[in-house]
Amino acid sequence: MKTKLLTALLTIVASTTLFAADSPAVGTNAPDFSLTDSKGKTQSVSQYKGKYVVLEWFNPECPFVKKHYGSGNMQKLQEEFAGKGVVWLSIDSSAPGLEGYLTAEQANAKMAEWKTKQSALVLDPDGKAGRTYGAKNTPHMFVINPEGKIVYEGAIDSKATPNPSDISGATNYVKVALEESMGGKTVSNANTKPYGCSVKYK
Amino acid sequence: MVPNWHTYWKFPGDAGIPTEINWKLPEGWKVGEIQWPIPLKLDEPGDIQIYGYHDEVLLMQEITPPASLSGNAVKLVAEASWLVCEKICIPGSANLKLDLPVASQSGSVNEEIFSRYRRSLPQNWPDTKVARSTWQREGNELRLTVESAALANYPAADFFPLPEPSVVVSHPKTERAGDGKIIFRVPIETDDKNVSALKGIVIFGQNQNGPDRNAWSLTTAVVSAAAPSMPDAFWKYLLFGFIGGFILNLMPCVLPVISLKIFGFIQHAGQDRRRILRSGLAFVAGIFAWFIGLALLLISLKSAGREITWAFQFTNPYFVVGMSAVVLVFALNLFGVFEISLPQFANRGVLGWTAKEGDAGSFFQGVFATVLATPCTAPFLGTALGFAFTQSGWTILVMFVAIAAGMAFPYFLLAAQPAWLRLLPKPGPWMVRVKQLMGFLLLATLLFLLAVLGAERGVEAIIWTSCFLLALSLACWMKGAFIIPTASATSRFISIVVVLVLVIGSGYFFIGQKFAVAKTVSAETAAHGDWQPFTPQLLESEVKQGHAVFVDFTAAWCLTCKFNEAKVLESAAVRDAFQRHGITKIKADWTNADPAITKILKQFGRPGVPMYVLYPGNNAEPILFPELLTQNLILEKLETVSAQVAAK
Repeated sequence: MKTKLLTALLTIVASTTLFAADSPAVGTNAPDFSLTDSKGKTQSVSQYKGKYVVLEWFNPECPFVKKHYGSGNMQKLQEEFAGKGVVWLSIDSSAPGLEGYLTAEQANAKMAEWKTKQSALVLDPDGKAGRTYGAKNTPHMFVINPEGKIVYEGAIDSKATPNPSDISGATNYVKVALEESMGGKTVSNANTKPYGCSVKYK
Repeated sequence: MVPNWHTYWKFPGDAGIPTEINWKLPEGWKVGEIQWPIPLKLDEPGDIQIYGYHDEVLLMQEITPPASLSGNAVKLVAEASWLVCEKICIPGSANLKLDLPVASQSGSVNEEIFSRYRRSLPQNWPDTKVARSTWQREGNELRLTVESAALANYPAADFFPLPEPSVVVSHPKTERAGDGKIIFRVPIETDDKNVSALKGIVIFGQNQNGPDRNAWSLTTAVVSAAAPSMPDAFWKYLLFGFIGGFILNLMPCVLPVISLKIFGFIQHAGQDRRRILRSGLAFVAGIFAWFIGLALLLISLKSAGREITWAFQFTNPYFVVGMSAVVLVFALNLFGVFEISLPQFANRGVLGWTAKEGDAGSFFQGVFATVLATPCTAPFLGTALGFAFTQSGWTILVMFVAIAAGMAFPYFLLAAQPAWLRLLPKPGPWMVRVKQLMGFLLLATLLFLLAVLGAERGVEAIIWTSCFLLALSLACWMKGAFIIPTASATSRFISIVVVLVLVIGSGYFFIGQKFAVAKTVSAETAAHGDWQPFTPQLLESEVKQGHAVFVDFTAAWCLTCKFNEAKVLESAAVRDAFQRHGITKIKADWTNADPAITKILKQFGRPGVPMYVLYPGNNAEPILFPELLTQNLILEKLETVSAQVAAK
């Protein structure tokens, strides 16, 4: 017993991950970034203060992204909320040489091909915005209210599969969050586990 | 799978989705859940952590036929879908068919692969005698404590969570907290305060993702049954606290004051036994008063959400100035410059306080000795406090009382059994000399305190503090020379006024004005030899690059730190070894309570410095050294660790 106590004192303590880059918590101020979009315009979160902003992490090669664009689901959502004054920024954080990396021309071509309706497709090849937000999936969704606070973070909807046929039966968390928040309510499901491909950082 | 591609575990981690199998079975057939082998934990850039399988995986399911079967053969059909990723992700699916003959006897096939994968399944949680688990919710963190001697032999231990779909968790952190005791901290991101436990598996093996790993699965049901494991450990920690308190008596910073007390006992040796007892008990009461006061302060700070740590008061320069003044006044008293006497009104006492001057003096000596003791985090105390700081207010209080009891124990014995004092020498004129000698010991303590101030605030701060101390000495001398019963009332009054003006005026001018503007010495400008000053970014980047890093968490006021640095870290043998193993040396100077350093201390469960951590490189788990270092300890650890890392 005595030696046990002594060894207890001299035992080694270990800890695995020291620095976890977690997403900023729901309810906190949305961090800012300043990046160029596919049209060459500068995009930041702060410039849209006073409006709702949706951030959508995007990778055109990811099957989960294709699920929502191929079915027209994402475009429909973008169009619906654009009509309500919501700014929608799709962000591509894939590093050059990795899956989903887009040059400005490729990005514009993809937007035309898919007939996307977002406000802008922001190019983040260094992963700056992605790491600031702790974006880990494509799609990974954030909803920011007019005061600049994050009101939703997580998945696009409730069915974590790559099958477009699952969209119809799923609850779209982003739509619910926007509707609740715009209606002056607190978002009932403000933090969900995002699903998709990992963001392809360098 | 093609090398480096992976599929996902039941809980995929930050990205991906688990493999799904949907069976289409004939009437009456039943299928069990997928039995998931222990997955690998894989890191991707961007702090993305996933759980999955490389190369090959067998997902077993148990299929039970109905009691009786007709026909010659049966067809079992399943639809499997999965996501396989490397740099890119590809969803896959397949329709699987299996035709089995119906027979009265069974014949097995593929036994090798089945038995191999059965061995890599997590086992049921063992008997509570073997391993106990407790969950605790602290704010946005769930803490799983696993106590099992069996785990002590496995350097790699981890917790893979299996949260309910509605619960979002972040990366669990592993922390070894003693012999076979491991704490896993799981940040909970969902805003649901009712989540009090998670399902998951506890993995242990020789190294992370190694082939020899085992796992115990933790279902929430086991958790509640294991709750009463606390009291046992609690008594153990109380014992550490008591022993640690006792050892505090021997620390260099307290020794001078303690000698004073022993000396007091000698003086009273021939006197009334009750008087000795009272003076001894007053001293003991002083010790308790300080520790209980400190505990209450810590509890209130903790509940106010402040970062609290051991000896935190020494990080406040004004506290150190105050201590310097007290130490000097005591020293002058010992030299015979003046006598300490409590004012008349205190003696008379409106509430009929009958305590004699000697008792009050003993009480404050007790307080004083204990105040000086706090920066010496004795080895035992570290463990006890590390435990207490993570606990509730009551636990902290009880813990501090245990430490006070340990420290007070010898005086209590001497006071209760003055017969033992006969072992000490007889009183005589030599006592005056010893008293003066003790005064010099206190002056040495003063030098140490000034050195601390210098490290915190620079040379100017030492100068202004010394000016204040000089004025204070003059005031003490005036007190001894003029404020005496034989002097006339007028001259006593004038002297008191002069003394007050000296103390308050010099305090206001030198400390309030001059000292206050002396610049804080930043960690970057302090000289550290070949050690690099700590920044979180430096540590993170060194560790991420796979370098081996040794971090010395130290402070100017920490004597144990200075001792370790002089005798061990700066010794030729250890310096050579650091160089030979190519270790990056970082010094984290906590003299001014840098919050970034406080955060890391807390991550390792330590309430204060010293702390020594070796990050062995290649993402191996960091190793924490005990608070008292020896050369051998460092050298041995460096050898074994670098051998292990190289083997990896």
